[in-house]
Order: sequence, then C-alpha cells, then structure tokens
Amino acid sequence: MQLAKYVRFREEKFGGVLFETRSEKVFTLNATGAAVVREIAAGTGEGEIAGRLRGRYDDPRGVLDREVAALLADLRSRGLVEDVPHG
Amino acid sequence: MDEAPPAVAAAAARGAEDLAAPLYVAWQITNECNLACLHCIEESGPGKAFADELTPGEFRAVLDQMLEHEVPYLSFSGGEPMVHPHFFEMAEHFCAGRGNLKVETNGHYLTPANCERLERLGVKAVQVSIDGASKDTFNRMRVLGRFDAAVDGTRNLRAAGVPIEINFSPTHFNVHEIGAAVDLAYELGAYSFYSGRTMYTGNAVKTWRKIVPTEEQYAEFFATLRAKAEEYRGRMRVYFHEMGLLEELRYRLVHPAALVIVLPNGLVKLINALPFVCGDLRRQSLTEIWANFQRAWRDPRVAGFVDELAVDPRKTAGLHEWIHL
Repeated sequence: MQLAKYVRFREEKFGGVLFETRSEKVFTLNATGAAVVREIAAGTGEGEIAGRLRGRYDDPRGVLDREVAALLADLRSRGLVEDVPHG
Repeated sequence: MDEAPPAVAAAAARGAEDLAAPLYVAWQITNECNLACLHCIEESGPGKAFADELTPGEFRAVLDQMLEHEVPYLSFSGGEPMVHPHFFEMAEHFCAGRGNLKVETNGHYLTPANCERLERLGVKAVQVSIDGASKDTFNRMRVLGRFDAAVDGTRNLRAAGVPIEINFSPTHFNVHEIGAAVDLAYELGAYSFYSGRTMYTGNAVKTWRKIVPTEEQYAEFFATLRAKAEEYRGRMRVYFHEMGLLEELRYRLVHPAALVIVLPNGLVKLINALPFVCGDLRRQSLTEIWANFQRAWRDPRVAGFVDELAVDPRKTAGLHEWIHL
C-alpha cells in the first residue's frame, strides 16, 4: 500500500493533513491517524502497521487493530491510498 | 463513506489557522502574456510584465522555502506562465522536490515537445482556458488568441499523457456554448471542467458592458452546468461556483482557505478578489507571511472592504491598488 499518486501528506501539530490535489480535497488526521499514514509513506506493509503502532501507543481496550483497519479501509475507499503493483 | 473512523473525523473541522504553512500556493509567475483577453482579471497582455518581477535566483529561493515547508500544491499562472523564460527551470525545480504542480495556461505553447516535457516532470495537471466551443466566441474573447491553437495544444497534452483540466469564463456572447464547451472538454480528455462568474476587475472593468452576461443568461448557464455535471458524473468532474463574489468573501472571512496568492513581484495577497497584501517574499520568510496571513484575515479593514462591496459591487475595479496590512 502507498499514498496515491496525487496525494500529499504533511505532519501538523494536531496530527497531519492529506491533500488530494486532483480533487483539491483536504483530509485532516489526528495524531494516531497521522502515525498510520506515516507508516504507509514509509512503506510499512498493511499487516504490520498496527504492530508498529502498538509499541508507541497504549491500547488498553484492544481496539488498535480494528481502528487501524477501519482507517485503512476509509483511506482506500476515498482513493487516498493504492496498492503497490507487484512486479 | 459517510462515517469516517475517529482518526479522520476528529480533526475534520480544523481551519487554516491550525496549519503550519499554506496547503496551496497560487503563483502568478509573470504578468506578461501573448494574449490580451477581454475579461483578464490581471490586466495581463503583451508588454505587461511587471518591472520588478522576481529574478530566477529569488524564484528558486522561494521554491526552496515551499519545498522545505512541504507546501503540497503549487500552481503557476500569469499572465501566461509558459512565456516566462525560466518556466521549465522553475517547474523542474519544484517537481524534483516532490511538489505537485499545476500549470494554468492559454494553451498556445503546448507543443508536442513541451507537453512531453511536462509529462516527464509529472505535473499534476495542466489547466487550459477554452472559453467557447467555436472560433467565433473564443477568438473574440481571447484577443490575439486562436481557438485552434488552444484545442491543438490540449490534444498534444492528451497525446503526451498529461492530466487535463479546462477552464471556461462566461460572457454574454459565449454562455450559450457552455454545453458544447463541456462536451468538447470531455472529448479532449479533460478530467475536470471549471467555471464560475466573471469578475469585475482588470481588463473586465473596461470591457464590462461588452462581456457581462445577464442574470437570465447566468441562470441558464448554471442550469446547463448542473445538467452536465450529472451527465458526466464518474467520467469528468464539472465544477462551478454559482455563488456570487460577496457571498464567497463573507464565507472566507470566517473560513479562510489555506491558500495564498503570490504576485509576479513576490507580494502575497490574501485572495484574488481582495486588494490586501500580507507579505513580500523578497523580504520575509514564508513562515512570517503565513503568520501575517492569519492576522490579516481578522483585520477590520478586510471585513470593512467586504461590507463596502455589498453597497458598491464595483469596488473590485480597484483590486490592483494593493493595500498592505
């Protein structure tokens, strides 16, 4: 998974922003959301992201996996991320 | 998706004041133009370059600041940006730094070689102004311009694989072609089509009586655009701003966009439709100007100007008499 071609990510004090420059839509992220997108931008595999975050964030309710999966599904449905072509 | 997960939804209401830098910079890189369009809001034309336009060195320094602050989206406009002698050098500098660049052009310099170069740069899009679906209307509006040149240039973009946007400015003598113009944009391979109301400023002040559409024409124009937006849904986005200038400015007073306008001499405006300048990139950093931008939108003179505009819509005639905040 990677950021879509015309999507740019920038970190902000509150988390981050994703800018889809073709539609000129801006999506804002809180700190956790920004951490997920940072992992995507760094090339972390989809199945490894929650594990990477678990070391950095408390997850007393055990919801991290579910929330990361929901965010990734949302990013995908909005066209903000795309699968890396195999080759 | 209607319901976003918390990570997206939590910060959705944030405004420009929360951001560390602009998200979008609209840069008029020169006021020089090969055309002298009747409606040009910048009063551009042959021989109309500002005497104090930024030098290539100053330009690169500003681009470096934008890259350093991760400004994700930059547009080059003018005047005609492609007549700038360092256009490609500047475009290459920004694109090499992973910036997303859009070029707003009249299409007359879109040779096959230039289009291939733009494709190699990976520009986000090239927006071509095609105000009409025939030579008669286009050539009447775009003085010194040629409809065939703009259309051929757009075809060259498509052949090179460059994403295309089309812009249409309405006048009383071209509004009836709006449906055909949208169809033409699709045929040319555009993924977006933009339009809105023509503004009373720049060259339009002198030509207003010849160009302004009637309210009846505007009503039909926007009705056609609504229908076309439906017709092309999923194939080409048809965007249009039906809102009048006053309504938009009142909205912006409360919700400033994370967008700054850079003039050819490095001055930075709040928004095209206001005369207020909030910085000078020759003398100030982007960080300093961004802070000024936040303050400037709250300056009572800005709200006062918008209030006066409600009484006298022709105040936009003076948008080029800059007021420094």
